Amino acid sequence: MLDDTGAAIAIEGLHHSYGSNAVLRGLDLTVRRGEIYALLGGNGAGKSTTLSALLGFLAPEAGTVRVCGIDPVSDPRAARAAMAYVPENVSLYEHLSARENIGYFLALAEAKRGEDAIENSLSAVGLAPEAWDKRMSGFSKGMRQKVAIALALARDVPVLLLDEPTSGLDPRAVLEFNRLLDAAREREVAVLMVTHDIVSAVDIADRIGFLGQGRIEEEREASATGPRFDLNALHDRYAYAGAAA
Amino acid sequence: MSASSIWSAELRLLLRSGRNLLALILLFVLSSAAVLAGIAEIENQRETIARVEAEQVRDLAAVADANAGPEGDPGYAAYYAFMLTQDPPPPLAFAAIGQRDLQPYVLRVRALGLQAQLYDSETYNPELALPGVFDWAFVLIYLLPLVVIALGHDLVTGERETGRLRLLLSLPGSGLWRRRIGLRYGAVLAALGLPLIVGGIVMAAPATGIAVMLLTAALYCAFWFGLAMLIGASLRTSATAAAAMMGCWIVLTLILPTLANAAIARSVPVAKGIDLTLAQREIVHRGWDVPKEQTFERFFVNHSEWRGKEEFEGRFHWKWYYAMHQVGDEAVAADVAEYRASLSKREDLTRKLGLILPGVGTMTVLHRIADTDILGQLAYQDSIAAYHAGLRQFYYPYLFNDRMFTRGDFAQIPRYETRSGTGSLEIASLIALIILTMLVLVAGALSLSRQASQSRAKSQK
Repeated sequence: MLDDTGAAIAIEGLHHSYGSNAVLRGLDLTVRRGEIYALLGGNGAGKSTTLSALLGFLAPEAGTVRVCGIDPVSDPRAARAAMAYVPENVSLYEHLSARENIGYFLALAEAKRGEDAIENSLSAVGLAPEAWDKRMSGFSKGMRQKVAIALALARDVPVLLLDEPTSGLDPRAVLEFNRLLDAAREREVAVLMVTHDIVSAVDIADRIGFLGQGRIEEEREASATGPRFDLNALHDRYAYAGAAA
Repeated sequence: MSASSIWSAELRLLLRSGRNLLALILLFVLSSAAVLAGIAEIENQRETIARVEAEQVRDLAAVADANAGPEGDPGYAAYYAFMLTQDPPPPLAFAAIGQRDLQPYVLRVRALGLQAQLYDSETYNPELALPGVFDWAFVLIYLLPLVVIALGHDLVTGERETGRLRLLLSLPGSGLWRRRIGLRYGAVLAALGLPLIVGGIVMAAPATGIAVMLLTAALYCAFWFGLAMLIGASLRTSATAAAAMMGCWIVLTLILPTLANAAIARSVPVAKGIDLTLAQREIVHRGWDVPKEQTFERFFVNHSEWRGKEEFEGRFHWKWYYAMHQVGDEAVAADVAEYRASLSKREDLTRKLGLILPGVGTMTVLHRIADTDILGQLAYQDSIAAYHAGLRQFYYPYLFNDRMFTRGDFAQIPRYETRSGTGSLEIASLIALIILTMLVLVAGALSLSRQASQSRAKSQK
């Protein structure tokens, strides 16, 4: 399930344009198993285009993309079977309960999981058991996000792609979410999270990449000793990257 | 979750949506009401025929009492003995009433001029014709598309608007749209078709006829789901998709058929049947002033077997009178042929219109298999004409041979035999409907597939 370099996600020299607008210009990015990578960048920097390339939604103009050694364009089914994707602000089916939603999406993904796996994932995201069988029409934004993340966890895949995962979550939910990612890391899951939430990224990420000018302009690794990242320096860098974008 | 569980989850999604459930219940209720209304109409027609049949027996007995005897005059007998013809509702008429609520299905005729009687009770009712009849065919052609619009307009756009489309497209599984559309299609067909099947059982309708109706409904329903796929996948929002589909419904079921109908009526003018009645009567009325020898000569052109038996004493004889009526019918024969040819031409043009308009094609197939269209009506008129010819042939020997008409002869008057059904499968319309449906389905599937690709590509810039 890994490519030659041992990376669960491996992007090399990726170029992609929308018309005359070149969004990605030689992007190189790797995420290893058991690693959480936070991709930061301003609006239009190409974060979601990167996710789209990983999901096989678009064919690279140049460069290669591999998910667990699989080319998502030539074999999207196999690649998608190896990763779970959580879009930003996704609203699952309001007419179904949280449990039914996860069961349904697992079935759509052709992932055979028992009720235990569904309950474990719902429990892991901190959703109260009394809410599991309630229709999601009454759920808050944070609760919905938890169910979407529970779905990704229940799929039990080696790669997680998260698009603004903490958007809409309250601080306590963010902490719970970070604990989930910790657990995923322990299970050797490779996590690529695209986010604006620099605080959450600092708390949980093993590496943080700044996307600008269509490539990773700078990458910082968490320190093994002392503070994991210098938040002030990151903030300045992020603000600069955003302005540049 | 097993494959069957996916289907049950899809079913839950479908039925837990208040809008979808309401639309399906409404369709089921309307379809049931239409079948019940159709059965009631057919039962009413059957009761009318039965009532007239009973009256006919009493009336003929009264005429026999008044005119039969040793000196019974066949002229009076033929004049007063109205004979019953009836066109009982075909077994599938309950679902597609067609012309049956507009045109006569009971007609009492006597041996006088046929054309003066054939349209005498022409009951073309503009108040009924204007709104059309509420039957199962109406629900299928006009109301089913609205339910398809309710269920199908936001299949794709709704997923995009709630942010689920990218998540769905990111999953490795396949067959999502096929399942969703298939389930909605099946639910709509069930809501529409179940009342028809029950109605068919109640009315003892032939299974093949019901099967053809269901097949036609399945094709028409598939056409609209194909259109929902095509439009829903091409537009960005549910509101615009719904508006576009409503536009299609208005154009395809209301505007184009109405315009085409007006164009057909303009290009193929048809006189009313009552005009033939008046023309025939005019000729008969003028016949009183025409020398009798001249009338007989015209009569003998087609009935030479009675030549030499035309002489009579006095100023009036029934054989001259009936010969005058026969001549009157024959004088308008060309007009009758033209009238029928015009009706057939209109029917033919409507059939051709059905090759490109699915609603018209569906209606053509349903009314033809039910034998309730203009062709069925003309077949009834043909059977009356054949019976009337037999009636004349029955009386002429009495009239021209100066035979008495006794009570026993009343019993010998030919009785009308109900025509055989002429319902048939309108294959050309059905094939055209299949082709139209396939084209729209393929276009819809391609559009859906292209839209999915574009959604992925345009996912985020």
